[in-house]
Amino acid sequence: MRKTHLILLASLLAPLSAIAATTPETIVVCYPGGAVNAKEANGAMGSMLRVVERVGQWQANSFNSLFTAKSDECRQQMAEKKPKFAITSLGLFLEMRATHNLVPVVQPKIKGRTSERYRVMAQKGKFQNLEQLKGKTLGGTVLEEQAFIGKIVFAGKYDLASFFALKPSNQAIRSLRAVDKGELDAVILNEQQFGGLASLQMKTPLEAVFTSEEIPLMGVVANSATTSAEERARFGKALEGMCSDPEGKKLCDLFGVEAFASVDAAVFEPMIKLWDAGK
Amino acid sequence: MQIPRLLTATATLALLVGCAGPQPAPEQSGLTAACPPQNATSLVAEQGTLGPTSNTATLQCAVAVLRNSQDPAVRRTALGSRLCLLLAERETNPEYREKFATEGVDFAEAALALKADNDGAVHYYLAANLGLAVREHITLAMGNLNRLEREMKLAVDLSPNLDYGGPLRLLGTLYLKAPAWPNGVGDIDKALELLGKAAKEHPTHPLNHLFYAQALWEAGDTSTLSQVKTEFALGEKLLAEGDWGYNKAPWQKEFADFQQTLKEAG
Repeated sequence: MRKTHLILLASLLAPLSAIAATTPETIVVCYPGGAVNAKEANGAMGSMLRVVERVGQWQANSFNSLFTAKSDECRQQMAEKKPKFAITSLGLFLEMRATHNLVPVVQPKIKGRTSERYRVMAQKGKFQNLEQLKGKTLGGTVLEEQAFIGKIVFAGKYDLASFFALKPSNQAIRSLRAVDKGELDAVILNEQQFGGLASLQMKTPLEAVFTSEEIPLMGVVANSATTSAEERARFGKALEGMCSDPEGKKLCDLFGVEAFASVDAAVFEPMIKLWDAGK
Repeated sequence: MQIPRLLTATATLALLVGCAGPQPAPEQSGLTAACPPQNATSLVAEQGTLGPTSNTATLQCAVAVLRNSQDPAVRRTALGSRLCLLLAERETNPEYREKFATEGVDFAEAALALKADNDGAVHYYLAANLGLAVREHITLAMGNLNRLEREMKLAVDLSPNLDYGGPLRLLGTLYLKAPAWPNGVGDIDKALELLGKAAKEHPTHPLNHLFYAQALWEAGDTSTLSQVKTEFALGEKLLAEGDWGYNKAPWQKEFADFQQTLKEAG
């Protein structure tokens, strides 16, 4: 799940999860790897929540968010707050799914798709396949979630840490520049980053050495033990209508999200199998 | 994360140029009986006397005079935009702040319409006011990122030394705080270059050192940790020892916030 979509989801989610709430309902938002000050993030998300509260005609300040860019802190907050709803990356969802009875509720739809592919990019003609990258340097922002990349993106075929010399970065553009200069052998990009390549002026053309299978975009998840099926359905239905609301549409447009789609749980089954098989 | 970074970016613009601090709500009606007799031409000639240490009433009177002036030579200057920015930055009421900043944008756009394109100050104050004007509106802020960058680049090209390297500081901070590629114009490499240059070429301004320290920190290179601390300490010392008027309090808060970040990171 991309950062912007996570935040947007956080905003959209809040009013729905706190219907008739008298005290703010905390939404735990986990985005591992972002170079983000959590205090600033929560403040900004609060601003967005106020917008959404107006849009959804809920009482102002009915909701709050608890944002973290640290995986460990996310695990801790999920354990302590036991939120009814949360927004996580796919990797964290898979990891915490069993512990917190998490089930997906909605997914964002972007350019008509609810899934994405990851790609390993290198200078054109330099490497023909992933095997040739063995022992080479690999950069990228998504390397913050190495278990996810290894088990899901590479489908468990490679032990990430031993196969590559990993060079995580908090800005994809830095990794791309390093590849362009030959300082880095390859970079792994998500769909959004791959789609943005055309806007960059690179000295050397890049090409995909590896393209993953389709991987579902992660959205809102719910604790199935503390929410009812009705709550989750209501939740999902409201989110599905969000992008057609005049105010909500502005936010959706801003981040290129066309709509929010209710989840077909079967979509995540292959991911769960891959994750479990990788243990 | 993109939106928090954007809001941080636009909020930070408030720190870059002028002054801030709690003040009574401004009078929006323009010239009042309390305003001294003055004309626009003399204001332009003596504009160096108006700045962060000027009181709010003085600035409001000056803006009212400029607002009523139709003299192209006056309207072509950056003065109106600069004074509006000073007022906007010290205003705590978001509605009034937005009005001042919006008028600052209007002043700058009027100057550009009168062919002030080559005046870097006009672009500089236009960008700073625009950042403030849109800071409360996420969609507007995101929609104006490219324009902010364009105006700041023009200011850097035309008047890089204005306001202790203000254009370098402003553009560098935009690259530091804005959403990064592919979502926005944020770019840590560009931020390092511009803020490093500002700190080196304008070493007496505390924020140049603070923002350079923040950029070094954001870049995540552990080998520069001592440089982060050195830049931070230098900026803090300059702030403590200098007469920065109304700027001092908000800048101290910015330093304190970053110090807290460093502390939390161990």
